[in-house]
Amino acid sequence: MKKFLRLTATTVLALSVLAACGGNENTNGDGGDTDNAGDDTTSETIGDGDIELVFWEFGNTGYDKLIEEYVEENPNVTINLQNSDMNDLHDNLFTSISAGTGAPDITMIEEAQIERYRNAEHAFTNLYDLGAEEVSENYLDWVWQNGENADGDFLFGLPTDIGPTVMFYRTDVFEEAGFDSSPEAVSDLVATWDDFENVAKEIQEKTGKQMVDGAELVYNARRDQATEQYFNTDDELIVEEHNQISDAYNYVASLLDQDLIGNIPLWTPEWFAGMDEGSYATMLAPAWMQGVIKDNSPEEGVWSLTTMPEGAGNWGGSYLTVPAESEHPEEAYKFIEWLTAPEQQLKAFLDYGLFPSAPAVYEMPEFLEYEDSYFGGAPVAQIFSEAAEAVVPVYKGRNYYPVDGEVKEAIDNVAAGSDPQEEWEAALVRMERILDRQ
Amino acid sequence: METSKKAKWLTEKRRTALSAYLFISPFFILFAIFGLFPMIFSFYLSFFRWDGLNPMTFNGFKNFEFIFNDPVFYSSIKNTFIIGIMGTLPQIIIAILIAFALNSTLIRFRNTFRTMIFLPYITSIVAVAIIFGVVFNNQPFGFANYILSFFDVGPIRWDAEYWPVKIAIATMVFWRWVGYNTIIFLAGMQSIPKELYEAAKMDGATLSQQIRLITLPMLKPITMFVVFTATIGSFQLFTEPLIFLGRNLREEGITMVAYLWRDAFVYNSFGTASAAAIVLFLIIITLTAINLWITNRIGRSKKIS
Repeated sequence: MKKFLRLTATTVLALSVLAACGGNENTNGDGGDTDNAGDDTTSETIGDGDIELVFWEFGNTGYDKLIEEYVEENPNVTINLQNSDMNDLHDNLFTSISAGTGAPDITMIEEAQIERYRNAEHAFTNLYDLGAEEVSENYLDWVWQNGENADGDFLFGLPTDIGPTVMFYRTDVFEEAGFDSSPEAVSDLVATWDDFENVAKEIQEKTGKQMVDGAELVYNARRDQATEQYFNTDDELIVEEHNQISDAYNYVASLLDQDLIGNIPLWTPEWFAGMDEGSYATMLAPAWMQGVIKDNSPEEGVWSLTTMPEGAGNWGGSYLTVPAESEHPEEAYKFIEWLTAPEQQLKAFLDYGLFPSAPAVYEMPEFLEYEDSYFGGAPVAQIFSEAAEAVVPVYKGRNYYPVDGEVKEAIDNVAAGSDPQEEWEAALVRMERILDRQ
Repeated sequence: METSKKAKWLTEKRRTALSAYLFISPFFILFAIFGLFPMIFSFYLSFFRWDGLNPMTFNGFKNFEFIFNDPVFYSSIKNTFIIGIMGTLPQIIIAILIAFALNSTLIRFRNTFRTMIFLPYITSIVAVAIIFGVVFNNQPFGFANYILSFFDVGPIRWDAEYWPVKIAIATMVFWRWVGYNTIIFLAGMQSIPKELYEAAKMDGATLSQQIRLITLPMLKPITMFVVFTATIGSFQLFTEPLIFLGRNLREEGITMVAYLWRDAFVYNSFGTASAAAIVLFLIIITLTAINLWITNRIGRSKKIS
């Protein structure tokens, strides 16, 4: 009997561990959960029209509520909203497209992932054929251009939200170093990248703290301000033909060399913990990072934000596309045009913090009134919209992210003490090798 | 006439055969769709250039030429072997020792220990990699670096330096598979007749003599099985390096499967990925053949003696 009890106890223990590892299955169809790395897809059918549109989305968009509004006005359509994990969605989409079957009527594609489909125009409906030209005025130029092909005659998708980058900073660290910590003062103080370096030195001297904890963020910030990055519109590698990328790289290498910035990898527990410790002064990050900061550093008034030196960049955001397979492209287009219109973008911003890609929203009173006591009363909406308008359009190309990863590897090695020039050359060799594969 | 001919064709024997085939057909149908077809298609694909989205173009042996000129491909083979040996060899030795301990009557709560040793195997591999990511953290406060700091060893970049990467990944493999192999060895040990040990004890054999002269020889077939599966398993090593190193997969820690996965799903170069898969296939076939040859020889010599 004793033996039996012991056996039962261990079995129960084993089973509970198994169950804990199996991922949570209790998604109740309320829009999905970004933290959930599992492969659950929630599906929800809204409306009872004859035309059914399958819509793939990821993240926490709150589109289900907007869809309910839409189907009320358009009773002829039914929308089947399927929410899945971001990576799963893009993997599934890639598989469907290469297999030629299985793609939905509408799919959301993340801004970074859309680069993968640059040479797959045949798989998508050209939204210009459906009248997208008429609404192009509604959106920021650079956002719109990102949704186009290199020649500008094919439109993959309509932009939903964006991620304009700003400079979040710790007021306590700036004050400790003897600076005025109001957003206007910091913006004036750190107006250029040279200022950034000088302020970093001063903060280092007075407080012993670093300017940024993740070297990657500084590199991204400078890279995103470049008018030309890794590729030209013919997809040829051009990093050696202009200095913008190598300047960004050398700038980061020099800051690392002077120990003014750290090299904590993003999204690691220690990176999250650092947000609350005040061990560094600034974080160059997009609008949606405010949620991450708030979660990790709950105290109000410590963090504030202002514009980034010399402009802004974009990190994140999505497009809504209509795969070529769709049998109802007109209805699908009509729906996404409605969903990405300024009025709906305002709702998505107020309810879910999705930053609008339509500048008309920036003038709306509800948007301007949006303020956040967390950031000590900084004019948050205004700073983000200024950043959004300061982004420069740039062509990225389908090999953008693998190539970018090689620069990050070089930076990582430089942070550990390797010679910047050697690492740069090694990264160039690795980039060539990626391109040789194709 | 027709019907009687048909009836004649479906004899009792044929009928049994037919139902037997029907019963085993699900496996073969599924295998053909999910196993055989992808394998053959991979061979076909290795002679083409394909980005997964646009039509394929034939380019002969260029994919093979490319991977054989890629230093990273050789690194991936080397890494696979090094991590494979570091991860499996100590693991098998330790697994035998643990199994022996769990099999002996001296230990209390044997069932509890048996379950506990098996737990790592059923733990989600993503969770494992995350936990080990904390242990093998590059920062001075990472668990491994913290321990090493007592011995005056500076912070090690576990995910970037040549040997540390391999040690970290091999440790993950070790931790995850040692319990599984222990249970297999344990099952093998329980099939060894107790009389052998009793007789040995009466003759005054020590514990190490018992292990060396009774347990190990009797475990030979089990050991063969474990070595086989561990070898194949280490050639398929993929999730640990991917989660530990990220999608960019540094040269220091990339394994063969990770290499071909990166070619296919990060670089969208399915042709070179397939070519690498075929080289991996040939390596595994060769090693399995060598393994089989050795096993056969061992088996034969046993019969002679």
